[in-house]
Amino acid sequence: MRTDLWRLFLVALTACALALGAASCGDDEEEPAGGGTAQEEATAEAEEFPAGSTMAAIQERGEIRIGVKYDVPPFGFRNPNTGDVEGFDVDFGMAVAEKLGVEAELVEAISDNRIPFIQDGTVDLVLSTMTINAERAEEIGFTDPYFIARGRILVPGDSDIAGIDDLAGRKVCTALGSTYEETLKTEAPEADLRLVDAYSECLELLQNGAVDAISTDDVILTGMIIQDDTLQLVGDELTVEPYGGGFKKDDTEFAEFLNGVLEEYKADGWQQSYDEWLGQYTGEEASPPDQTLDEVLAG
Amino acid sequence: MIDVLTENLDQFASGLWVTTRLVLVSFVIALLLGTVVAALRVAPSRWLQRLGALYVEIFRNLPLLVLLFISFAGLRRAGVDIGPWTAGIASLGIYTSAYVAEALRSGVFAVSRGQIEASLSLGLTQAQTLRQIVLPQAFRTVIAPLGSITIAMVKNSAIVGASLLALPDLLKQARVVNSNTFQTTESFFWAAVGYMLLTVTATVIFRALESRYAVRR
Repeated sequence: MRTDLWRLFLVALTACALALGAASCGDDEEEPAGGGTAQEEATAEAEEFPAGSTMAAIQERGEIRIGVKYDVPPFGFRNPNTGDVEGFDVDFGMAVAEKLGVEAELVEAISDNRIPFIQDGTVDLVLSTMTINAERAEEIGFTDPYFIARGRILVPGDSDIAGIDDLAGRKVCTALGSTYEETLKTEAPEADLRLVDAYSECLELLQNGAVDAISTDDVILTGMIIQDDTLQLVGDELTVEPYGGGFKKDDTEFAEFLNGVLEEYKADGWQQSYDEWLGQYTGEEASPPDQTLDEVLAG
Repeated sequence: MIDVLTENLDQFASGLWVTTRLVLVSFVIALLLGTVVAALRVAPSRWLQRLGALYVEIFRNLPLLVLLFISFAGLRRAGVDIGPWTAGIASLGIYTSAYVAEALRSGVFAVSRGQIEASLSLGLTQAQTLRQIVLPQAFRTVIAPLGSITIAMVKNSAIVGASLLALPDLLKQARVVNSNTFQTTESFFWAAVGYMLLTVTATVIFRALESRYAVRR
């Protein structure tokens, strides 16, 4: 009797484990790496690609996995009303998905994990406010730049910081794994750096007074001003930050394809997206960047 | 493998030092607060017992990360000028003290009733009995569980650095090295070695204490 009960218990336990396992496997298929949202309807007509290419593999799978930020308005952020992830980066991602005739599966990629995500195949493409630079180009492939941002400093309205030279001895927040980690170490070596995972954390730290300034791309900082208009941009531009899409290194076919999509997108789509996400807040005009990747890397 | 360590030795060393200080200071806080709370939980007054129980239930049932958010972002928003270091050691220390209190309480119950009665009948007060008779033996009984709590605390310290507090601890520095060198496996391997250094040291110390002081029953 005792052994029967014991056996029954084991069977129940195994069944539970299997059920849980199956459930989580099911989740994985739909949501790679912590929750994504399929948003784009597949279009009927799409180009055919040679077998074995990344494009063909994506079409076979029926979805392209794109790593974007979830907390950086207006590039990639969760719309609080609809729950959808939207923004300038997301728009370009949708254009790529549309060209392939597949759905876009968005995956949250923070500054610190986006390069590993590309390398381990978690995502096919990263569009997450990522600056093209030579060190990263050793690790991953880049598209031509699809946006040019500029490095600035954001401070509270009543701050006495007026530029990079005032950062000595002050607490400055930026994201771990961003280009500003290096920029600040060379341009403001006396600054007390606070490296966090996400820019939304920098905003919290600036608002609660734990840091004196945030340094990163002007457009990300503009997104913060949209959320809190007591903050202000100060100082001259520190750096020029051309954003590129990232993918697995040496995938030249995919690079060509993406650059082709980008060329078309610059002519049709880029401007509307810019006006929707940036122009209406900054009041500034902009046109698509005309540099190529090689020009950017040549500096 | 080794070059990632040697080329970034400064960063790994400073991270290990921050983690070590964080753990040492938090441990002292945890031990002191834990002892006080354990004393409350076995106090002769029902209200003091309840106070001790409330403390343990609050801090043992909150995730450390939540405690860190409350003690740092929450307090700052409320106008308290608390720094990341203070918030870090306070959170880790208080969180761990709840576990220390529970371990000590079990140690107190291991001291036989007869000793307490004997002590009281010899004219020692309740407080004297606790301090001079019960607690010394309780500590000796719970050396092994305290060792486990300490090891858990070393590992929990990584949460402090990874949180909003952005303290440059061992894990944070390993992540900085990773983001500069893109040597993911190596960066975290050396962080793991650093944490092992601390936990193994703690294990050795507690083993030595145990073989010297533990009560054999």
